[in-house]
Amino acid sequence: MASEEEINLLVIVVDVNPIWWGQQAQRATELTLSKCLDAVMVLGNSHMAMSRTNKLSVIASHFEDSHFLYPGKSWRMGDSCGDDASSSGDGKYELLAVANNLIAEEIRKVMSKTEVRGNSTDTLLAGTLAKALCYINRVSKEFEVGQEIKSRILVIKAAEDCARQYMNFMNVIFAAQKQNILIDACVLDSDSGLLQQACDITGGLYLKIPQKVALAQYLLWVFLPDSEQRSQLVLPPPAHVDYRAACFCHRNLIEIGYVCSVCLSIFCNFSPICTTCETAFKIQLPQMVKPKKKKLKQPT
Amino acid sequence: MRYLAEGHMPFNQDGVLKSAELVRAFLVMFLEVLLVVKKVRQRKQDGTLYLMAERIAWGPEGKDRFTVSHLYADTRCQKISPDGKAKIQLQLVLHTGESTTFHFSNDSSALKDRDAAKELLQQLLPKFKKKANKELEEKNRMLQEDPVLFQLYKDLVVSQVISADEFWANRLGDTNHADPSLSNNKQEVGISGAFLADIRPQTDGCNGLRYNLTADIIESIFRTYPTVKEKYCENVPHNLTEKEFWTRFFQSHYFHRDRINTGTQDIFSECAKQDEQGLKSMVVQGVKNPLVDLLSLEDKTLDEGYGVCTTLPSTSNSNRSVKESSNSAIIKRFNHHSAMVLAAGSRKGETPANQASETSNTDGNSRDSVFFQPPVKKVKLKEAIEYEDLQRENRPKTVALNLKKSDRYAHGPVPLQSQQYTTSQDIINSVNYIQHEMVNYKPNLTQVLSSTTASSAIAALSSGGVLMQAATQQAINQMVPSEVQGELKHLYAAAGELLRHFWSCFPVNTPFMEEKVTKMKSNLERFQMTKLCPFQEKIQRQYLSTNLTGHLEEMLQTAYSKFHIWQTRRMLRKT
Repeated sequence: MASEEEINLLVIVVDVNPIWWGQQAQRATELTLSKCLDAVMVLGNSHMAMSRTNKLSVIASHFEDSHFLYPGKSWRMGDSCGDDASSSGDGKYELLAVANNLIAEEIRKVMSKTEVRGNSTDTLLAGTLAKALCYINRVSKEFEVGQEIKSRILVIKAAEDCARQYMNFMNVIFAAQKQNILIDACVLDSDSGLLQQACDITGGLYLKIPQKVALAQYLLWVFLPDSEQRSQLVLPPPAHVDYRAACFCHRNLIEIGYVCSVCLSIFCNFSPICTTCETAFKIQLPQMVKPKKKKLKQPT
Repeated sequence: MRYLAEGHMPFNQDGVLKSAELVRAFLVMFLEVLLVVKKVRQRKQDGTLYLMAERIAWGPEGKDRFTVSHLYADTRCQKISPDGKAKIQLQLVLHTGESTTFHFSNDSSALKDRDAAKELLQQLLPKFKKKANKELEEKNRMLQEDPVLFQLYKDLVVSQVISADEFWANRLGDTNHADPSLSNNKQEVGISGAFLADIRPQTDGCNGLRYNLTADIIESIFRTYPTVKEKYCENVPHNLTEKEFWTRFFQSHYFHRDRINTGTQDIFSECAKQDEQGLKSMVVQGVKNPLVDLLSLEDKTLDEGYGVCTTLPSTSNSNRSVKESSNSAIIKRFNHHSAMVLAAGSRKGETPANQASETSNTDGNSRDSVFFQPPVKKVKLKEAIEYEDLQRENRPKTVALNLKKSDRYAHGPVPLQSQQYTTSQDIINSVNYIQHEMVNYKPNLTQVLSSTTASSAIAALSSGGVLMQAATQQAINQMVPSEVQGELKHLYAAAGELLRHFWSCFPVNTPFMEEKVTKMKSNLERFQMTKLCPFQEKIQRQYLSTNLTGHLEEMLQTAYSKFHIWQTRRMLRKT
């Protein structure tokens, strides 16, 4: 018998790109990765404390791979995984204590395993989002038929966008839209066009934080309420999204352009042959009025 | 000249043409006058009424010109004064709503004159009615169906910004093309198989029968039995009246059950013979469909007691009993009747010559049906054997996509962003640093946030804060009342229509275009004066500081500047 309460699943995707965070740490800014993870834990705990049926998942997005920080693979509810850490002395709700410990342990593992291989230094955000979607799908299948489960993804972004992930990113966004999964974004440093589009399309919130050090406060204020509660609250209004496409030839943003009907590549100028798929096109140019040639009168 | 009213001959007793009449006679010859009525008053003036082939005209007494003239095409309808009234009048109502009244004042023959005029008009008006009305009806229908179009019409034509002709110029063009095809798609009405049964004879009271024939039934009979139609054409109205023809038809044995062909006086005996022949040829030709085997429907006997009859029915005429022959006659008649009804339904057009090529001799009367035998059979066989879904797919050959630079799709239509270049040493350093930091990571959840940072963050998130600026601006559609919005929409629709006419004139190639451009520019100016400026003043007076009409003005300005440029170029070209 499916229970009446609906289940809310929050998946937090944390960008733990070591290069970006290392640079941050070197510049001795106030927000370090440790602080960031503390803030994430606060948010996670608060989410689980809101209701017994709330579920949480935390995924770390790295330049090598994406790693599930919580829940762990071999994690069982009553398992004594590290007795010393599990019983925290302050009488905390056990689930929260276990979660925190697990997250800390996993992130330590991830960071110690980091090896610089030199191929890419970009965060694999599209892949992580895809993993999040798969996880949400699996969880929704595990429950009984008729059990409603509402999911959303919160992305905490640190490093810059990687343009090469564009296609995968867009696929993920549309898949999330189809599944009615919100994608929220909390951006620490530079604005990300891809995440703006993601939030706009799926109906989530996009926020670029002015004060990085108050991350926890922003997370709790803006991203803790779920979509139903958001309609009752006054939250930062959605930003204007620039949907202009960039032409394939110069990568400039254009408002009006030419699209090849065969391969759908966008150009800013007309060219008779599409450079991507080599299709020839004819376009009717407006008729040029030929100037009448004046006949020179021969003197008789 | 078909006929002139009495007393209006152009010759006097001496055979000399009267002078005024002479002039009139000439007029009559040139103008195809159908009827002339003297002593008709119009607007309290005596005169003469002339009904011509395409128009009706009235000229005052003594003068030779017509002061009133109306085309039949312009006339919507005619009205006459009721019979009891002293004044005998005829009124013509035009499409525009105007009406002209003629008073027939000839003491002796006023009523006769009026009635003659009325009857002639009754015959003539319908001919011209269709042409004019159709267009107007079409226009009315379009206006009624589309409220936006109606509003546009009101805004532009009724307030005289552009003329009605210009408004309809582009719109009616489409419908004129569509109409012929629509009217040709009317379906042909078939014939009910029971049409003969519908003529239920009623007893007349004194041993007679009354048959009620409507035009539909007559048409059905003619279409089903073309032989009867031939007889009708031959005999009516030369030999018999219609009534007599039909009486004979129903009395004939042809119509009745037992078609015993006695008495050659009956004009329908020929029909019966022809029908026999037709039926025989139908049987001979048989059914075209190779999959239909009619012979298998015969009774088969298994054994005694299983529906068997010991004596097989013989087909020779001599052994037949009277009952059997009348049964077979009825069955024959039923079959023939059904075949004729079906044939009439598939027959298109009146002449039998047409149908020979179309139908596959379903009525047994067409001559060259033999030529069409093979294809029909083949088609039927093919239909039965082949299934569309099971065929190999005959999709048109497609061309493969040949991408040369497919890596463009990897980044997609995303603009180039300035990358921050980091040296590999930087990378290594950063990674080491972070690893060092995180190796002893322990969550310290009690020290996540200080109260000052928290409160500054809250301040930024509260209304009026840094992040909430956009939220304080009210949406414009909440500030403007809905009537103003509606008016703005109408203005946009009207302006769009005018601008469309204006811009379609470019490039200006013909003198007609030049005229149109100039006219449209003046129309635009007039529109701005009469519609846009009052609207602007109104909203300024009321409440709104928002600029609702900025875009409209921008569009009009663009149009004006284009016109100005074109005009200066034209001046330069001329000099």
